Amino acid sequence: MNRVPNPLIEQMANELEPVRALRFRDGALLVGLAVIITVLGVELLDGIWRGIAAGEASPFFLIANGLLLVLGCASANSVIGMATPQVGNRHDGPGWAMAMAAVLPLAAFVTLLGHDHPVAALQDPYGLGCFASGMAASILTAGALILWLRRGAPVSPKLAGLHIGVAATALGSAAYGLACPIDTVSHLGLWHAAPVLAGAVIGMFALPPLLRW
Amino acid sequence: MIADEQTLARLMASSQQGDKQSYSVLLTEVQLWLERYFRRRCAPAQMDDLVQEVMMAVHKKRATYDPARPFLPWLAAIARYRWVDHLRKVYRSAEDALEDYDAPEDSEEEAVLARLSLDRMFGRIPAKQASAIEMVKIEGLSIREAATRTGQSESAVKVNIHRGLKKLSALIEKAE
Repeated sequence: MNRVPNPLIEQMANELEPVRALRFRDGALLVGLAVIITVLGVELLDGIWRGIAAGEASPFFLIANGLLLVLGCASANSVIGMATPQVGNRHDGPGWAMAMAAVLPLAAFVTLLGHDHPVAALQDPYGLGCFASGMAASILTAGALILWLRRGAPVSPKLAGLHIGVAATALGSAAYGLACPIDTVSHLGLWHAAPVLAGAVIGMFALPPLLRW
Repeated sequence: MIADEQTLARLMASSQQGDKQSYSVLLTEVQLWLERYFRRRCAPAQMDDLVQEVMMAVHKKRATYDPARPFLPWLAAIARYRWVDHLRKVYRSAEDALEDYDAPEDSEEEAVLARLSLDRMFGRIPAKQASAIEMVKIEGLSIREAATRTGQSESAVKVNIHRGLKKLSALIEKAE
């Protein structure tokens, strides 16, 4: 059967310019660079806690920041992959990483329950400062991930927004965590994990309009 | 007949390097594939627009195709995204029209068009929600008439329409 030629095809073929395919590696480099600059910024503004290298940090400090780092990497990995759409792409990994990181606030609450004065233990003069610093340390990574997805073609903007929020705040909180010498369960489990929850909510509801194409 | 996956992937990789002839052949094949894809998913009157829209998206986002991966799942993901976007617009206008009970005829065309996409999904939502959407958005009854016919309160009819449309939207988002 002869078809009527579509003028749009002719027009698009005439306008064709060579393009460089988006590579996962480029996205990973962009995000890695943003995290490195963030860590340098933390060192310049607050100074990384030297006690870490001296072995003074408690095991929970290393576990908490390690979990945040793994969560951030898992979510960032998903976001970078979302730039190149495929039917059948699955992003279950960050979900499990989020469940794993949820152990942090859970551990903090369980610890507080066993405390003689749980409300008094909640009063942490450095808590809000750490929360705000963790959020601020997320901005550059969030910007890099948004930029990457705007170049790409994310087909689930809400899910992409959620993962950007989680990735940026988990990496930001882990980066700022290097400067915070308070290594108690309640402080790390509440105030260093809280930015991730805030990032997830902000990402899911505020970012989709920026990611639609 | 539409070309096989390997040929399409090769044509797309050449197109990314600026080969206009390959691109022209590829777009012709893409058009055929999209017409088949949308035939059972949208109203016939809207099919041409959707096909053109996806072809323009393919053109604009051609750098997002990874030559190391299959071509058709990439095309299908873009087609599905545009389809969901299209249905969301139809639902939104249907929901907006809910506020205008006195002029159901104004939204009749949209309701009929919506039905073409919604019909197969009705079986997957609760019967009360499906019948509320059907009476008000397809048959054009007012909320009061639908409430009288089903024996539900007017508020219940409104809630069923709202929740039903929301569920349908979610079902389509999840559809592969």
